[in-house]
Amino acid sequence: MDLVDIIAEKRFLGQEFLTWLWWKSEERGGSIELPGAGDITVVFEKHMLLESGEGESSEKLICTGLQTELQEARTGLQMGKKLEQARIVIGHNSYEYSLTMAGAMMEFRNVRLPKTEATENDKSTSPEEVEGMILERIYLIEELVRLVNVLFGLFLKARLGPRWREELSTIRQWVAKTAVIV
Amino acid sequence: MGFLKGSASFVKFSVVGELPENSLDFIAQKVIAFSFKDIDDTYDEYSIGWVSVLNMFDSQFAYASYVAGDYITLTLRVDERKVSSAILKKIVQKEEERVRLEQQVPKLSRSMKVQIKERIRTDLMRKAIPLPSTFELCWSLSDGTLYFFSTNKKAHAILEDFFKESFGLLLKQQIPYTMAEHLVDDDLLERLDKLSPEIFV
Repeated sequence: MDLVDIIAEKRFLGQEFLTWLWWKSEERGGSIELPGAGDITVVFEKHMLLESGEGESSEKLICTGLQTELQEARTGLQMGKKLEQARIVIGHNSYEYSLTMAGAMMEFRNVRLPKTEATENDKSTSPEEVEGMILERIYLIEELVRLVNVLFGLFLKARLGPRWREELSTIRQWVAKTAVIV
Repeated sequence: MGFLKGSASFVKFSVVGELPENSLDFIAQKVIAFSFKDIDDTYDEYSIGWVSVLNMFDSQFAYASYVAGDYITLTLRVDERKVSSAILKKIVQKEEERVRLEQQVPKLSRSMKVQIKERIRTDLMRKAIPLPSTFELCWSLSDGTLYFFSTNKKAHAILEDFFKESFGLLLKQQIPYTMAEHLVDDDLLERLDKLSPEIFV
């Protein structure tokens, strides 16, 4: 299968990961345990895009708001939509990253990296200082991608594992419970 | 903006293919050979090439190296002369009317109209200032991966073509499924391949 077909056929995988991650982050109040690496905080905020269907029959729902409880998005989940984009804040080892993750293609958008002395130093003129600043910035990017990969690995382990049915039923209960009560 | 300052948007690619043994020399030679050539003082419509991530006017890397540790950091610069279709239409209409009155004919022939349009387009194109676009990248030689700081699909296609032309290497965008193939154990690969969408309600 070439890449174009894989993208079309498997775009659900990234969307399911984001949807799973939303549930996982709320399961323990924004904290997820990484095996052997302690806890990581994952908080969903401000901006969400949900999607259902494919091609011409696809339907999109955008929810934004500063102090939102994301009720519309939660109702969207109940209608069978999956998360395609979400603004997420990830905290690990005193570093805080915020990013918009686009699920289907795993795009990192508007990523705010933690500020460090090296990356904030605008006055670096010596080649060594400039290289240091570049390497620090690369390190922060790689670290964020690594964390997302660890989370994605956790999802895959659950999704492909023998206990997925049990986990799915917990997720379904969460979806049912979190929707708006009219 | 993005890679070194402010908020960044990026995607990850796998670099497919082998570099020659003296890889840094090979890259050095290719980066200079495919560096950006300015078209401000020419009539060229399009130019594409590598410049420094720190300065888009530095195409010879005189002020900073593109090597940082094990990474190659480059900016892909594309300059293009463009004429807006609304301006072209306006000037063409004016010129057609001028020629029609000059020739004292009720209507211009089709070939004459084509000729006028082509002449005006060339004229406006020469006057247009090349519009620059820059896209940064960070290529990890040890991992064989590359971060590209744009999520624009057209920019991805330009990068893939120009990277192949420059270094003879292919770029393959990493998407959740291809990443999953690297992340899961071998015994789960078959299940991954057969996976179908789940319903969460």
